[in-house]
Parts: sequence; structure tokens; C-alpha cells
Amino acid sequence: MKEININGAVMKCYPLCAAQKLHYYTIRYSPVQVLCIGTGLYVKQDVDFELLKKAIYKTYEKFDSMRLRFVQDEDGKVYQYIVPSEERDIEFFDFSHWNEADANEEMKRWTSVPFERFNSPMNKVVMIKMPEGYNGIYLKVDHMTMDSSAIVGFDRAVLETYSIMKYGADIKQSPVRPFIPQLEKDLAYEAGSPAQKKDEEYWMNNIERSEPMYTDFSGQGRLITQRRENNNPNQRWAMVVSKDPTAAISVYRLEKEASMRLMEFCEMNNVSMASLLLMGMRTVLSKFNDNEKDVSVKTCVARRGTLSEKYSGGTRVHFFPLRTIIEPTLTFLEGIRIIQAEQNKIFRHANYDPIEYTMKRGRYWKYDPGTSYESITLTYQPLTINKNTPEMPDIPYKSCWYSNGVASQPLYLTVMHRPEDNGLNFNFEYRADAVTESEMEYFYYYLCRVLFRGIEDKNRSVGDILEII
Amino acid sequence: MFEQLKALISNYVEVNADEITGESRFIDDLGFNSYDFMSFLGDIETELGVTVDENEVVNLHTVGDAVDYLEILAGKGE
Repeated sequence: MKEININGAVMKCYPLCAAQKLHYYTIRYSPVQVLCIGTGLYVKQDVDFELLKKAIYKTYEKFDSMRLRFVQDEDGKVYQYIVPSEERDIEFFDFSHWNEADANEEMKRWTSVPFERFNSPMNKVVMIKMPEGYNGIYLKVDHMTMDSSAIVGFDRAVLETYSIMKYGADIKQSPVRPFIPQLEKDLAYEAGSPAQKKDEEYWMNNIERSEPMYTDFSGQGRLITQRRENNNPNQRWAMVVSKDPTAAISVYRLEKEASMRLMEFCEMNNVSMASLLLMGMRTVLSKFNDNEKDVSVKTCVARRGTLSEKYSGGTRVHFFPLRTIIEPTLTFLEGIRIIQAEQNKIFRHANYDPIEYTMKRGRYWKYDPGTSYESITLTYQPLTINKNTPEMPDIPYKSCWYSNGVASQPLYLTVMHRPEDNGLNFNFEYRADAVTESEMEYFYYYLCRVLFRGIEDKNRSVGDILEII
Repeated sequence: MFEQLKALISNYVEVNADEITGESRFIDDLGFNSYDFMSFLGDIETELGVTVDENEVVNLHTVGDAVDYLEILAGKGE
């Protein structure tokens, strides 16, 4: 911690933690707007916007991470501090006479405008009137200050606070915990703690085990071309960064009943949805890459275990590769169990700095900067905002994620539950120069085929699934 | 040991500490998910100064299982 004089006030300032550095590192290679996340939450109900504004201010009071600012010291090092209150006006925008697609396009445009990086708010809330009677809020945040769990927590808190103020609803509000103690805990871990040393040992062993194999979501073309260009027939990694980061999003909606079947399978077999999805993805990657057995996918670890971690907002996500070598003779369920075991190991050591891991891996296997063994990143978001009360029963919800227009990775899949029916949405965000929409559709089609072939007979072998899909 | 574990568990889930028994199952009764459990193991290591074996802990389903396992570890001088 360091005290810095900011506009005449001495503020307690803290360095960035690894999760924040991960995002800060991204903007070395991508336009700064890549850090913007835009979301919308709308309910089909008349909304008292003056009251909603009060509910938003109250929620700002509770979430100190929403009042986070960044500052650079005299040496250019980045620090963060919390301002005591949020005094900006909460804006209002009326889209009710717009076409919905145009309204969404406009909010996408808002999302592509980056925040001032220093001594300035890192989020923006706008109260929105949408077409067809939907009303709610648009929230734009900087990823260095909030991740998707924090966004869901903030949205939920606004909704709960509004319901209480409007209806006196008897709702047990989700607790909110302070952000700074969590940050201090992370910084203490990162400052050479015994736990960090143990984790480093684990990740070094993981790196040294053997070299992974790159498997691309569009087949072997990328790797074959790069092998030829580098005159290296044994190359196992591929260049994944691009000069053109223009992004596109395709959202596929898995019907409620089909989503339920996946959830039931997970419950019956005591496996997590993330493991099932990873099994689906790695099998498709295997299929598209000549039945390759060695497949790696980058996974997102939310790192929210304790109640303080769950309810303190902020950004905590770390990414690590999940590598599995699965023989075709193993059954679908055995494959999931292998993934689950591997995932548990990642969870166990997930506090380690993911940038440090990536650097160590690159140095060990001597691959070029900007290259990787993973073509896809997966995030599964189990949290939903839906919280109906007796005063607001069964209200139709709509939630949206707006693209910021750029992507730092070729393909980022976020699977999340829809607030209105708990069905699954598959949000594919991809670099337009790396994937076309039809390729994305093709990938999603195969992903569903694998998942449903797998769950209809969990003892079917992976080899059989690769054969029949 | 049991009391120490109860205190650690209370950091993870909103449950009355008095309701935690040896038979309480981490996932089914206490609502832990896989991440919670693995993170909890890290806390145990830090708090109790032991090293848990990742392959063995997958068989710990109840709080009582964890107490037994940790007492054996402690007995081994870990």
C-alpha cells in the first residue's frame, strides 16, 4: 500500500493484483476498448426511474469496487484506490420508440468507447426504456475492476434494492463484502507466500510434463500453414494474435428442455456443467483435428469460494489451460471424470499468476510471443440475476451482453443461463478475421451433437462418438 | 480439529455453525462446489500446516471424513 496525493486528498493506493494485471497486459496487444464489458438487464414492467436512480446510488454505496479508480505514481506504476462516494448523475435513455436491433446496436457502440484509465470512474450505468415495455439498466464496466460474477452481483443488488424501496418487499438481500480486504489477501499471496511457492511448483511440473498440441476450432489448416511457414514440421503451437482485432458475437440459444437434459445429466452423474461443456468442446476439437487425443482448452476460474470472495465484487478471474489426453476407448463419462480431476487441480492452484504461468511455459517450450496451444477459451457462468418476489412474480426478464467490437483471442465461448427460463445461451465472441459466422454455427452444431450423443449413452466410447457425429 | 474445520467452513457457506455435524456432506448438505472445496483445502493447509494429497481428498465427502483424514495426517507428523 502506498499513500498518493490525488487532487489534494491523500488516498490509500494499492498495486494491481494478478487478475487485474492479466487485463492490463491485454491492452499492450489490443485496443483499450477490449476491456469494456457492456450488459443490459430489462424487466417487462413499468419502472419508477427516480426510485431506480436511488436504488443505483444505494448499490454504489454498498459496492466499494464500483468506486474504484486507477492512478499512476511518479514512476508510472499503476495503483488503485476507492473514492468514498459516487456522485455522478445516472443518465437515462429512452429507446422505447426504437427498433430493438437498433437500440442494441447503439448500446454496442457505447460499449466500444473505452474509459479514461486514470482518476476516472471505471463503470457507467444508464437507466433504459426499451421497446415492448421492457425497462432496466445498461451497465458498462472496465474488466480491470469487475468480472461477470461482480456484474451479476451488482445487477441483482440494484433489482433487490429497487424492489424493497418500491414494494417494501421482504427480500433477504444478498450480502456485500468489502473489496479491499480481498485485494490485500491476493497481494499477500502474490508476495512470495508459501502457498504461492507450492502453486508455482505445481505449474512448473505441469509445464515440464510434455509439450501440448495446438488444436484449432476450424481444423488443422492454421497449424499446417504455420508449420510450413516456419519450416518446422513438428511445431505444436500456433500464432493466435492478430493485427485486426475486430470482433463479432454469435449467440445460440439452447432450448429450455434441452438445457434441462444437460443439467439433469450433471446432477445424476455428479459432474459439473463446466466439465460436461469442456468434454463437448475437446471432443469437437479432436474431431476437427484428425481425432487428436491431446487437446487443450483455456478455462476461466472465477476464484470465488469464500463468502467474502463471492460478495466483494471486483475482478478475480484467472485463466489456465486445461489439457487432457483422452484415449478413444474411454467412455464419455470417463472422459468427463478425467476433465473434472484435471479441473480440480487447476482450482487448487488457481491463485497463481496466469501471466507468470504463460511466460514460464513460453520460455520452457521456446515458442514465439503471441502463440499458444489453445484456440478457444471457455467461461461457464452459473449465476443468474433472476430473483422474483411476491411483488414481482414471474416477471419476464431480458439480459444482453454487448460486444465492445474487438477481441484479444480468436474465440471466446461464454455459456450462461438465461434469467427468464434458466436455459443455456452460448455466446461465441470471435475475431472476425479468424472465424466466420457459418464456421461458428458449424462448431456449435457439432458441440451439441457431441453433448447429446454423450449424455444419451454415457458409456458410449469417445471413439464411437467421433465416428457417429 | 472439528471445531477448526467448522470455523473454516463458515467462511464458505451461509450455514449456522451449530448445524455442521460430522455427517454433513460438503456438496449435498453444505452447498460446496468443486472450486469451493479445492480452495477450502488450501485454507486447511495454511491454517493447520499440513499438506493434503490431491488424489486422496476426492474421497472426502463428509466433514467427518475430513476430520479423520486430517487427524491421520497430523499423527504422521505432517
